[in-house]
Amino acid sequence: MEPVVQFDNVNKSYGGYVAVENLNLSIEAGKFVTLLGPSGCGKSTSLRMLGGFERPTSGRILLNGKDVTRVPPNKRNVNIVFQDYALFPHMTVAKNIAFGLELKGFDNQKIHRRVSELLELVQLEEYARRLPSELSGGQRQRVALMRALAPDPDVLLLDEPLSALDAKLRQQMQIELKSIQEKTGKTFMFVTHDQEEALTMSDTIVVMNKGRIEQMGDPDTLYGRPGSVFVANFIGETNLLRSTVLGMDGDMTTLSWNGITITASQGGLAPKLGEHLYVVLRPEAIHCSVAEPASGNRIKGKIRQRVFKGNHTSLMVDVGDGTLLNTLVHPSEIAHLSGENIWVGWKPETATVIPDRHAHN
Amino acid sequence: MRAMFSDAPRVTLAAFYWAFILYLLLPLTLMMAMSFKDANFVAFPIGDWTFDWYGEVMQDKQFLEACLYSIMIAAATTLAATILGVWISMLIVAEGIRGQVIIFALACLPAVVPGMISAISLRIFISTIDMPTGTAAIILGHTVHAVPFVVVMALTRLRSMPGNLVDAARDLGADSVVAFFRVTLPYLGPALFGGMIFCVLLSIDDFVRTFFLGGYRLTLPMLIFAKVQGGMSPEINAMATLVLVVTAAVGLYAEHLTRRARTR
Repeated sequence: MEPVVQFDNVNKSYGGYVAVENLNLSIEAGKFVTLLGPSGCGKSTSLRMLGGFERPTSGRILLNGKDVTRVPPNKRNVNIVFQDYALFPHMTVAKNIAFGLELKGFDNQKIHRRVSELLELVQLEEYARRLPSELSGGQRQRVALMRALAPDPDVLLLDEPLSALDAKLRQQMQIELKSIQEKTGKTFMFVTHDQEEALTMSDTIVVMNKGRIEQMGDPDTLYGRPGSVFVANFIGETNLLRSTVLGMDGDMTTLSWNGITITASQGGLAPKLGEHLYVVLRPEAIHCSVAEPASGNRIKGKIRQRVFKGNHTSLMVDVGDGTLLNTLVHPSEIAHLSGENIWVGWKPETATVIPDRHAHN
Repeated sequence: MRAMFSDAPRVTLAAFYWAFILYLLLPLTLMMAMSFKDANFVAFPIGDWTFDWYGEVMQDKQFLEACLYSIMIAAATTLAATILGVWISMLIVAEGIRGQVIIFALACLPAVVPGMISAISLRIFISTIDMPTGTAAIILGHTVHAVPFVVVMALTRLRSMPGNLVDAARDLGADSVVAFFRVTLPYLGPALFGGMIFCVLLSIDDFVRTFFLGGYRLTLPMLIFAKVQGGMSPEINAMATLVLVVTAAVGLYAEHLTRRARTR
C-alpha cells in the first residue's frame, strides 16, 4: 500500500542553521506516528513543513503520492492541533468545529450533523454554545482536536498538544487520544519531547536529533534495543556500561566491564574483537539480592543512595571505582536489603550492546 | 496636637480634590443651569425656570441641519479612519516588512501635530491640488487626525493576538482574505469599536480643521461659535447641554461595551 505521507530527502535550513537534514520518512495510513526528540531537533519544523507553514529548502513532501511541497496550507488536506490549541476566541465551540467544514462548502445540515457527531465523540454535547474561554484546559484540547478532525484530513498533525496540561490530565488525554485515533482510523503524526507520551500512544516512534532521524521503530524495540547512546538515554532511564568485546557466541557477546566478564545480547550488531561498546542495561532488569545469584551477570556493590518513589525504590549501587548502577527494587524486596553490601545481577539477554558513536567518528 | 498634625496632609489632599472637582464641574453645571432660565440673557439670578429653550432648539432648523451634517462627517471620517488604521496596523505587525517603526511613527504623527498647523498645512495642500473646501476636505482633515487613534488601539489588540490563530484558520482552509475577515477582524472587534467611538467624538468636536477646510455649511461647533459671536443666549446653553449629554452617553456606553468584551 502507498504511504500517506512521504518525506523525500527533505532539508530545511534557516541561514546557516540546519533545522532538518536529509529527512526520509514514510508514514502508513491509520498509524499513530510520533516524532520524538529534544527541542531544536527538527520535529516541529518537519510537522510545519507537512502542514504547509514552512517550505523545505530542498526535497519533496508527498501526500497520498501527490507532491504538495509548494501547496499552501489551506489547499492541503492535513490539519494541525496547535500547542496552545489556537481556538477562535470569538466563536462558540460548535462554530470553531464548523469552521473547516464551512470552508469546504458543506451545507448547513451536513455541518450540523458532523459537529454533533464529533462533540458526542468527546462527550462535549452540552458545551456546543460555550466560548473557548468558558472551557477547562482538557475541554479546549478536545475541541481543538475535533476542529482539526472535522474536515476529515488525510493526516492529523499534533504539535505537542498535551504540554500545557497538568500531569494527571495529560495521562488521561494520552489514553483518550489513542482511543480516538483507533476509533476514527485516522493517521496521526504527533510531535513531542516527552518519551513517556511517545511510548504510551505510538505505533511507530521516530527519534530525531539535530535535524536527523536517530532511530525509528515500535516502542518495544526502541526501549528494548535502542540503536544509539542518544536513544538509550532519551527513552527511559538507563545504565550504559562501557565495555570491551572479548568474544562472540551465537547471538550473545562476551565483554569485559569494570573488571568482570559479562554477557549481553548483540542486538543485530556485529561486534569486533577488542571493540569498545556500550551495554544498555535498564534499571528494572537488575535484580538486587543479599546472596550471590547462582547464574547470569553479577557483581558486588555498595548501596550509595536510596530514593523512595512510591511504587518502587530506586537504589544507586556503587560497583567499584565510583561506577554507579541505577537499579529499581520492588517494595516487597526492599526490606531484605537493609545492609550496605549487596549483589546486583541481571540476565544476559536483558542487556543489549550498542555502538559507541564517538569511537566511530 | 499630634493627631491634628498627622491629619493635616490628608485634609489638605481632600481639600484639593474637592476644589478640583468643583473647578471641573462648576462651569458645566452653570451652563446647564442657564439653559433652563426663562429670560433672553445669561446672568444670575435665574429667577423663573423653563424648558422652552429646548423646545426652541429642537425646532431650530439651523441646529438640526448642523447636527446632521456633523454626524454625516463623523460617520464618513470613522469609516475611512478605521479602514486606513486597521490596514496600517496590519502592515506594522506583518512579518517581513521593513521600516515598520517608521510606518508607526508616521501614522502617529497627526496626533501630536498642533491642530492649527495641521489645519493650515491641509488648507495649503487642498488649494495646491485644486480641491474645493467643503465636505470632502473636512472629512480628509478629520480622517488624518483620527487614524493614529485607530492605529494605536488596533495595534494593542493585534499584538496580544496569538500568532497561530491565523495559522489555524489557514490550516482549516481559509485563504488570507477569509482569515482576515473571519478571524483577525472579529478578534480586533472590541478594540476597534472603542477606536471608532473615539473617531466619532474627535470629528464632532473638531473646530480648527473644520474652520479652515469647511465651506458654507456649518458643522455643530461652527454653528455654536457663530451663535456665540452674536451674543450669549440660553438657547446656546441648551444646545451645548444637549451635545454634552449625548456625547457623554455615547462615550460611557462605548466604554461599557468594550469593557464587557474585554472580560470575555
